[in-house]
Amino acid sequence: MIIKRTKSHIAEIFCNVLCVFVITVVSVNAQKLNDDFFSPKSRLSFGNYLFLEKDYLRASNEYKEFLKTDNNDTVRFKLSESFLRIGRYEEAANNFKSLFFSTSLTDEARLGLFKSLFFEKNFVRFRQYRLEENYTTEKFSHDIDRLNYISYFFDSEPLPDSSRLFSAFADLNRADIKKFYYMKKNPDTKNPVTAALLSAAIPGLGKIYTGEIGDGITSLITTGLLVFLSANNFRHDHNFRGWLFAGFAALAYGGNIYGSAASAQIYNAGVKFNFDNEVKLFFEKHNYFLPEFDFVNR
Amino acid sequence: MKKLFYKYFLLIEIFVVSSLFPQDRLSIQFDYANKLFQTSQYFDAITEYKRLLFFDEAKKYSYKAYFQIGKCYKAGAKFDEAIKYFSTASINAANENEKLSVYFEIVRTNISRRTTSRALQILDEIEKENTNTFIRDSINYWRGWTYIFADDWKNAADAFSKIKSDHELKKLCEQVEKEKVSVTFTKAISYFLPGAGEVYSGNILSGSITFGWNLLFGYLTINSFAEERIFDGMVIGSLGWLRFYRGNIQSAEESAKQKNIAIANKILKYLQYEYKGAKP
Repeated sequence: MIIKRTKSHIAEIFCNVLCVFVITVVSVNAQKLNDDFFSPKSRLSFGNYLFLEKDYLRASNEYKEFLKTDNNDTVRFKLSESFLRIGRYEEAANNFKSLFFSTSLTDEARLGLFKSLFFEKNFVRFRQYRLEENYTTEKFSHDIDRLNYISYFFDSEPLPDSSRLFSAFADLNRADIKKFYYMKKNPDTKNPVTAALLSAAIPGLGKIYTGEIGDGITSLITTGLLVFLSANNFRHDHNFRGWLFAGFAALAYGGNIYGSAASAQIYNAGVKFNFDNEVKLFFEKHNYFLPEFDFVNR
Repeated sequence: MKKLFYKYFLLIEIFVVSSLFPQDRLSIQFDYANKLFQTSQYFDAITEYKRLLFFDEAKKYSYKAYFQIGKCYKAGAKFDEAIKYFSTASINAANENEKLSVYFEIVRTNISRRTTSRALQILDEIEKENTNTFIRDSINYWRGWTYIFADDWKNAADAFSKIKSDHELKKLCEQVEKEKVSVTFTKAISYFLPGAGEVYSGNILSGSITFGWNLLFGYLTINSFAEERIFDGMVIGSLGWLRFYRGNIQSAEESAKQKNIAIANKILKYLQYEYKGAKP
């Protein structure tokens, strides 16, 4: 009887232990299964998928999480590249800088920093860093120089020497670059002072000078008619009406001078806008002649 | 002894089964993403739905995840993206019901985006392929909403009346249609009596002032001609009277349009905050 009871007691203890063991194993496994999607490895592969899908913001979040547990140059580079592509240039530059020393991607990171500054349109710092040894790289010096030359098309600094600028580009693109260079150097603009003076001499002439032919002729007719009405009224002793039309004529004359100067400014703004657009489209089409890195798209 | 063993075995089995099978990791992920969606964390919800899609190799959740991503984008007013994902969901739909759900969501997104002609086109296509009464009611319901957003209250009322002759929304649309003023009529009466159009559309003070200006300049012009001051008459008539007369017609048109917008906005506000039924 006692033996039977002891056996039963042992069996109960055994079952209790087994039960605890199985529950522990199953819980750990279940937790592991749930964690699988968020493990560093999964985050990295999901981040890469998002990067290829051009969902750079979400990709950057996955890379950031991955880098909390693992240090990987390629991932940090892709994180920087993600920031660059979504326009967070300062974060991109800082992350590229963190890859400058003792990594396999030091040269690519330096080019990345210059790309960040270029797309941020921070050309002053771009040119400043280009002269500092800490930031330059032998491997991509030609690409950085070319990017520097391109930057002159986007700011108001005087253009560098033409022969050096042209030589930075391949023969295939040199004709386009030359065209843009001369368009930038000698833009087809109209002088607002000239336009105003022309309109002061002959009403409407300033507008015709800026290409507004219809407006110019209308101004000439309107001012001429008002002057005629004024003179005619004075001649017939209608002094009040004479002064009234003289006032209108003066307003039309003055307005026409001001309008001609404004028209020249509008014309110049249009020329600049079209030039900027054309240049931007051209360089965008050629990806700013920057090298592509295969490891980024893997 | 045996009894004890079976007891523990059953306990362990229940635990193992409940831990592993009813909720596999994909369904846990789907629930997690849904929770984010329900708490309006749409950016994070999209990330989690995309994670689910990435790890769902068997494409078990493709339809649901794409559908939910579309809803997230719609909730964030990114309608173009929403339609893109709804369209992908429709490709992954397993049956006609799922497809229909997607099409109605696309219609609702188009209504919100105010591309109402596209919404109507899709509804027509659904109607061609479905004769079921319940579906027809849904089609008419969303057609009604489409017309509301297209500011076509008469057709909206007609669409709702096809569901039920005393449909709540039908009554609302008829009320709007009744309260709205005719822009053409408002303009037309302003040609005959300056200021009348503005008075008709509720701007009594502005209409009276318009009438006063026209009266004054009309008198000055006619008086000038009557006194044979032809030049004065022409100048006052063209620079004064004509300016106020044309202004009166433009003001009448604007006034009628503003009144109609105010009436429509009042009802739209009611629909947005008070109406309990489904909305785009």
